[in-house]
Amino acid sequence: MPSSNPLPPKENALFKRILKSYEHKQYKNGLKFAKQILSNPKYQEHGETLAMKGLTLNCLGRKEEAYEYVRRGLRNDLKSHVCWHVYGLLQRSDKKYDEAIKCYRNALKWDKDNIQILRDLSLLQIQMRDLEGYRDTRYQLLMLRPTQRASWIGYAVSFHLLEDYKNALSILDTFLDQQQRLNNFDYEHSELLLYQNMVIQESGDLKQALKHLETFSDQIVDKLTLKENLADLNLKLENWERSEQLYEELIQRNPENTIYYEKMIEAKRLTKDSDIVEFYSNYDIKFPRAMPPKRLSLNYASGDQFKALVDKYMQKALSKGVPPLFVDLRSLYRDQQKVQIIQDLALGYLTSLNKVNKFSETETSNGPKEPASAILWVYYYLAQHFDYLNQTEKALEYIETAIHHTPTLIELFVTKGRINKHAGDPIEAYRCLDEAQAMDTADRYINSKCAKYMLRANLIKEAEDTCAKFTREGVSAMENLNEMQCMWFQTECALAYQRLGKFGEALKKCHEVDRHFSEIIEDQFDFHTYCMRKMTLRSYVGLLRLEDVLRGHPFYFKAAKCAIEVYLHLFDSPLKNENAEQEMNTENLAPSELKKLRNKQRKAKKKAEQESAQAREAQVKRDQHHKSRQQGDVEADAPQLDELIPDKLARVDDPLDNAIKFLQPLQTLARDQIDTHLMAFEVYYRKRKILLMLQSIKRAHQVDASHPKLHSCFIRFLQEVKENQHTFDPSVSQVITSEMKSLLTTKDPKVLNKEFLDRHKRSLRAALEGGLVMYKLDEKSQKDALNLVTPSNIEVKYQDVDIEICTEILKCLRNGLFGTNVQSQMDSFVAHCRKLFPHAEAFKPPREVTVQPQTNHVIESDSN
Amino acid sequence: MNIRCARPEDLMNMQHCNLLCLPENYQMKYYFYHGLSWPQLSYVAEDENGKIVGYVLAKMEEDQEDLKHGHITSLAVKRSHRRLGLAQKLMDQASEAMVECFDAKYVSLHVRKSNRAALNLYKNSLKFETVEIEPKYYADGEDAYSMRRDLSEFAKKKESNKKEETSKNEE
Repeated sequence: MPSSNPLPPKENALFKRILKSYEHKQYKNGLKFAKQILSNPKYQEHGETLAMKGLTLNCLGRKEEAYEYVRRGLRNDLKSHVCWHVYGLLQRSDKKYDEAIKCYRNALKWDKDNIQILRDLSLLQIQMRDLEGYRDTRYQLLMLRPTQRASWIGYAVSFHLLEDYKNALSILDTFLDQQQRLNNFDYEHSELLLYQNMVIQESGDLKQALKHLETFSDQIVDKLTLKENLADLNLKLENWERSEQLYEELIQRNPENTIYYEKMIEAKRLTKDSDIVEFYSNYDIKFPRAMPPKRLSLNYASGDQFKALVDKYMQKALSKGVPPLFVDLRSLYRDQQKVQIIQDLALGYLTSLNKVNKFSETETSNGPKEPASAILWVYYYLAQHFDYLNQTEKALEYIETAIHHTPTLIELFVTKGRINKHAGDPIEAYRCLDEAQAMDTADRYINSKCAKYMLRANLIKEAEDTCAKFTREGVSAMENLNEMQCMWFQTECALAYQRLGKFGEALKKCHEVDRHFSEIIEDQFDFHTYCMRKMTLRSYVGLLRLEDVLRGHPFYFKAAKCAIEVYLHLFDSPLKNENAEQEMNTENLAPSELKKLRNKQRKAKKKAEQESAQAREAQVKRDQHHKSRQQGDVEADAPQLDELIPDKLARVDDPLDNAIKFLQPLQTLARDQIDTHLMAFEVYYRKRKILLMLQSIKRAHQVDASHPKLHSCFIRFLQEVKENQHTFDPSVSQVITSEMKSLLTTKDPKVLNKEFLDRHKRSLRAALEGGLVMYKLDEKSQKDALNLVTPSNIEVKYQDVDIEICTEILKCLRNGLFGTNVQSQMDSFVAHCRKLFPHAEAFKPPREVTVQPQTNHVIESDSN
Repeated sequence: MNIRCARPEDLMNMQHCNLLCLPENYQMKYYFYHGLSWPQLSYVAEDENGKIVGYVLAKMEEDQEDLKHGHITSLAVKRSHRRLGLAQKLMDQASEAMVECFDAKYVSLHVRKSNRAALNLYKNSLKFETVEIEPKYYADGEDAYSMRRDLSEFAKKKESNKKEETSKNEE
């Protein structure tokens, strides 16, 4: 449909040149032509020209002007599909997808068969998972362009995603029929057949799927996928022998795939452990170089048979010097008997190697002696073994012996570091890793581990400097790691900042991780068109399904948990004034020192401002670089994200609403984690949302009904109900009453607490929660509560005594959660903990902690 | 340890493994590009808990002038899992897939001149040959060896498998 304000031939030619300039990214030229049209007084308000000028400006990064011109253009020509389309493209580039969809729809009102607009619309629909809308748009595209391959494929995929298998398959059939006649067999055809098979399998018709694969097997070039699917379908259809035969072929091809063996066992219907061990030993003979037959048999063997097998397994690895032997065997440690057998064997090796240089003294053969390194690997193994069993002193003894034997082996220092970490001494741990790192500065793995340990010791600056050895020159390591989406580093950083009380900085890191997830979701955009062309539809559907649950990744969980905890803390104790973050370290400083510190802080602040200005500059440069690289699709520049400013983040007006933003993805994607629901409770408790509190409790209860932290939620919920019942709507009260009945035996908190403590007599974690409740309900019970959590025989009374829970108890005592006059109990508790965990930093007197906490960062930056 | 073809949901964990182990890093989109263009070519090694301990990220070079060939974009095994032969096993699986699905004649890769361990693996265990030195290939100015491995052994295997299949079908 022509514009409501058509241009005469000369201007019209200019307008076409604007469009062309836009397509070829010659934006300056585009603006020039636009100017020529608009300078003619007759056309200075020409809608489509104004809109195109705006779109072009947007590509030059002038977003505000862009919106101005596009809107002005649209106002002048509301019936132009060009103006609406342009407005949609502008909003799309700004990631306002819902708005963009509306614009495209308006554009289609004035030009309903415009292919380009329909394509753009379909892309947004699939990106936003408007599956029905997508299907309808794809239908229109198919009607308009029935000869194009992508038209058919897109329409079929839309039905598949809607789980309408019948229609999906019938479209694929029709399309493949045409292809078949062309006899057009290649990789893409093969991929399409495998995709078709995927749809048949998902429709549930396994027999048909098997038949389909068998019919087309010679047209499928991806023989591995073909065979894996054939084997699996035959297994599911209980064609045991055929399935067995196929898995045999698969093992032949890749004897390192453990799943093939497991499926083979299923196909052979082996259930007795002894049969399975025998099965593996047969494959060990067939494939002597393969790992799974040797290793997996250890999972099923027991007693003397296990001893014989693991003996052989360990000897071989120790003789050859295979460092990962322990991580390889670690999963066997679930079985106490196996642990004992392994320990006896390893200690036996030590004795024999010391005496006769062989793994066994009773070896009658005069076979060759073991290499001198064998004993080193045994020391190394035993150190990891005892560390795993929390026998710190023994572990340290073996690792020291090993280091004495060979002082140049990096792995030994890594293990020494890990032992110290487990023993609660992050400082000594990082020192070990720093030593390891210095021994091979070209190995990034060691470098990364070292940086991680530094962060665990709250040494953020040092960690960054360490990472800088491997990041691009010219930008700060922090920035480069952010650009590379290095989430482990950013999350560990956030946690370190959280421990240091630098809440703004912690939030910044959490938000950076969150933005990576948004970016990765954004990444799928280009693949909607790309995969239709490449025909890699199985992987494409796999990508869509991955993106749907992307924030279910453990990386997100960890960062989100940190952010939520920080926001909860900021709600409970908001920052007071400008310098509040630093305030807490200055209480004990003399005025002269305070002045010095202030000076340093000023300098640090100035430096930080400079750095952030530099970062902004670099970002602009990068964007330009990125832009010049971009090709293909008409895609305007990504919107500039707001800069994350720590101080602003820490001073938000609504920390709880910000917490909810991080919480919501967890509630759908990490439902199986009890922490999700416990955090949800904490948020809604503070928001006083009674029904959402109840919902959180219910979900937590489903995950783990006996979790100690859930107990305190119940108690607080009961009190909240009791205090505010009169304000509830009757229907709300009714829901609460009926739900509580199914969850709890009593509404009396004291009775509930007593029942809880009686049920979990051997758990210190339960004792802590119960004790806290006890004191809170009745301050007179302070003595009983304290006796519960800090008894002198704590390690005998409870089964779950470790550094973590003892540290938490200490924190509760320090924060006055058991009252104020608790110094003597606290002292004797700390003294006792120090005996139990002599390496743990948490129980050392403060002067022994050699690294300065908190102010470290500020002082460091002064010297640079 | 389990070695299998990579799936879309592995790609993020491969990126993590890469960031831990190697100086050359890529954004997620580049991993997606590999996984969605040549889904058969990338492999992972995972431990019993499904943690990725090694991977090979591979692609096809699709310019018309040259012989069809594969390229190893990135290969890493965590230091904690070295000496299990994982790298070699990953490479063999990826190479076989290159021949099977895309008729690759050879596979190429770049390695830092200073990376003796990797060089040794490629040369001695995997039969790669140095084709040329590419000066200043890496961002930090280091030279790269450009290496190649002939894949005709896999092509022969493919042929004989094909014959076997046909004779089986004729029976």
